Amino acid sequence: MVDSNNEWNLLAPIIPFVLVAPILYMQGWESVEAAFLIVVVPLLTFPIILVVGQVYNGNETWKNRYKEGGIFGLGSLALSLSIALWIAYDYIAGSAHFEMNSVVEPFSWLTFDVLHHDGSQWDISSGFADIGVGVWIDPVSLMLLFVATFLCFLICWFSLGYMNTDPINEDSNHRFYGVFVLFAIGMFGMVLADNFLWLFIFWEIMGLCSYLLIGFYYWKDSAAAAAKKAFLTTRVGDVFLMIGLLMLYNIYGSLEFSIIFDDPSTGVGGALVESADLNWALLMLFIGAVGKSAQFPLHVWLPDAMEGPTPVSALIHAATMVNAGLYLVFRMVPFVDVHVSGVAGLEDFALIVAWIGGITAFMAAAIAFVQNDIKKVLAYSTMSQLAYIFTGLGAGLLFLNIGEYHAGYFVIGASMFHLFNHAMAKGMLFMASGSVIHEIHHAHHHLHHDDHDFDPQDMRNMGGLASKMPVTSTAMMFGSMSIIGIPLIGGFWSKEGIIAETWLACLHEEPLMLGPAILVLATAGMTGFYMTRMWLMTFAGSPKTDVAEHVHEGTPWIKEPLIILTLITAIGGFLLALLGVVDYLGGEKDHLAMHGLLDTLKHAFLPDDNELRIVGWTTILLAAILGPIIASRVHGGRLAEGAEANPLVGWLVNLSSRFGSQDVSELADSQLAEALQRRLYFDDLYEWIVANTAIPFASFSAWFDKNIIDGFIKQIESNSTSGSVTVRSITTGSTRDYILMAAVGMLSIFALIWGVSA
Amino acid sequence: MIETSWIVGLGVILFFIGLLGAFTRKNAIVVLMCIEVMLNAANLNFVAGATHYSDVDGWVFTAIAIAIAAAEVAIGLAILLSLYSTQETISLDEANILRN
Repeated sequence: MVDSNNEWNLLAPIIPFVLVAPILYMQGWESVEAAFLIVVVPLLTFPIILVVGQVYNGNETWKNRYKEGGIFGLGSLALSLSIALWIAYDYIAGSAHFEMNSVVEPFSWLTFDVLHHDGSQWDISSGFADIGVGVWIDPVSLMLLFVATFLCFLICWFSLGYMNTDPINEDSNHRFYGVFVLFAIGMFGMVLADNFLWLFIFWEIMGLCSYLLIGFYYWKDSAAAAAKKAFLTTRVGDVFLMIGLLMLYNIYGSLEFSIIFDDPSTGVGGALVESADLNWALLMLFIGAVGKSAQFPLHVWLPDAMEGPTPVSALIHAATMVNAGLYLVFRMVPFVDVHVSGVAGLEDFALIVAWIGGITAFMAAAIAFVQNDIKKVLAYSTMSQLAYIFTGLGAGLLFLNIGEYHAGYFVIGASMFHLFNHAMAKGMLFMASGSVIHEIHHAHHHLHHDDHDFDPQDMRNMGGLASKMPVTSTAMMFGSMSIIGIPLIGGFWSKEGIIAETWLACLHEEPLMLGPAILVLATAGMTGFYMTRMWLMTFAGSPKTDVAEHVHEGTPWIKEPLIILTLITAIGGFLLALLGVVDYLGGEKDHLAMHGLLDTLKHAFLPDDNELRIVGWTTILLAAILGPIIASRVHGGRLAEGAEANPLVGWLVNLSSRFGSQDVSELADSQLAEALQRRLYFDDLYEWIVANTAIPFASFSAWFDKNIIDGFIKQIESNSTSGSVTVRSITTGSTRDYILMAAVGMLSIFALIWGVSA
Repeated sequence: MIETSWIVGLGVILFFIGLLGAFTRKNAIVVLMCIEVMLNAANLNFVAGATHYSDVDGWVFTAIAIAIAAAEVAIGLAILLSLYSTQETISLDEANILRN
């Protein structure tokens, strides 16, 4: 194993990439003008990685020096990150050139003539639909851009350690890095897109990359099946998304953000937009978002997507791609914001969003209780946390649609803040789980060379790793705390806001919000249980197998991203709350500094509303105390004799053993546990539905094609064959017959002419 | 002066003699000769017509038709030569590979 310090000189090729942003700055460029490079540079890099990787596959320099293309991928992502940071700096510093919605549109891409009906007749208006190539930057796209570029960079870094040291990936890593960079293009492009068509195109690029990367180990049947499942399930959502875009186009006559958001209440030709029309269009878009963000009922693909390599799970299925759906829902804010120029009467849509979120949050958390695969727990946790954000967005859309301007933007801000916290924490948790899996796999490889049944992802094979993997255990501890919402850490700041505002919406505005409100509150406690359970099963107690005893952290490139993200998770939420990030969407910049922090703290601990105070403290009690204690009773335990962990982790592990222990084997054998193990039978249900609808229909279609359509064609063919056989018998080949025929024919013509003229 | 209708009648008789010969005889050369007979029957009609109407056109057509017939005979004989060199026969009954 090469020492990690000796490998840092491999980073030399990324220096020119990093220098691009400073050079452009010195040349007098505006940050927003350079934004297109965020997409264009990776777009130029990914084919190079794939082609060069194919040509030099197996070459020693390519493998050791350039990490099979990983260094180039890292370079282009570093460039994207540096430009994103530049834009973010301009925004935070309030640069004079930075507008709230910065649009740069260098050229038109497509201009098409459109057939439209002007009451009495159909008419063609030329140049009506104009699809430009442009960049749209506002606070949310900026936030998501930062999350995406930052995590793409860190996870690419992590992959250099995780992918390149695993012999199973040898000589196919260029495929990984190529598609990885292509995925980054999709994500950056979707965030920067300035119209819904481009958003959709990049959305599909991400779907493709998700498919390719889940199926990275395509020779494994389970991976190939999981890739297909993910692709087809998200396709269901994407079809609806496309229908929704067509409906939007029908209403507004354009898909440009600048045109639609300029005044969402007037449609094409100045007509007032009917809330019923818009309701359906938004609902279709939302189904697309549900598919992409793995929400009920299109959630079934996400747990299976864990078949992909762990960096892929970290990036695509936890930190970035699944946020695309949330981003799309966030884009709907101008449609419902009656305070500006939204369309009133969309409360039903907002309720649907909140209910879908509530149901998914609860269901995923329940299923996560019984998962033993460390990545599956995280996958269900991702679903559950994304559902929180959907619930928050639903509540926010509801508030905005009934004119509660401040509460609406507060909860939408909190949702976007939760997106940030969740992406950082979950990206890190997946990388940490990758680190655990990698080292377990490594240790197992040393100990039992021939045993192939061992599952390195099964938490029942771990235990006691806190002393063996100090960095990973600390990282995972902070990540779990952020997801649980332990006060003052990461996700606490945002989750509190979502739960509180959902209850506020329920108590003061709309009784039907009670369902999502109760579900998210219950889920807070369940999150406390399953995240603690995962952490304790992995790191606490004594090692459950001899493999776990021989684990040690040693792979280069893996620790740095974990340390960076641990810091961000631990204090990032605090810092952003300090900046008043929850309020930033309302554009009230006076919330900067201490005032914002106090405001957020007050909102979390001592809200003015009495009911909210009860809700807030119940959340803290459930999530931070009750859930973890129950998990400790079941799975807690001291480290083995003589094992040392770092003080905080060691203290937590030993604390977990003090709550006594509880035997849950009876519960674990119950029908409920069985149902949760089977993922509440959703897979079976969908399989049954497909087996009873799609497959009979497909067989009927096949029969119809084979017998009716093909039969018709074949009948024509056989008739003309037999006809020509009959006809050709008169070609005798004898010259005299031909002469006779010619003479008879000639005489008949003469006879005809004679007869006609006579 | 012989009646024009007699000359035309002779042409018709000659034409049918040629036609009958063309599809009853096996020998390709005889068939070719029969075709010449039919051509000359047509020429006879032209000449008769020209004399009847005192019009020079018929004679001109006859001269052209004789020239074309000469060319046609040359081509016909060439075809027969090549038929003989490939099939070693000029019997039309045996030269029937285009059948069906």
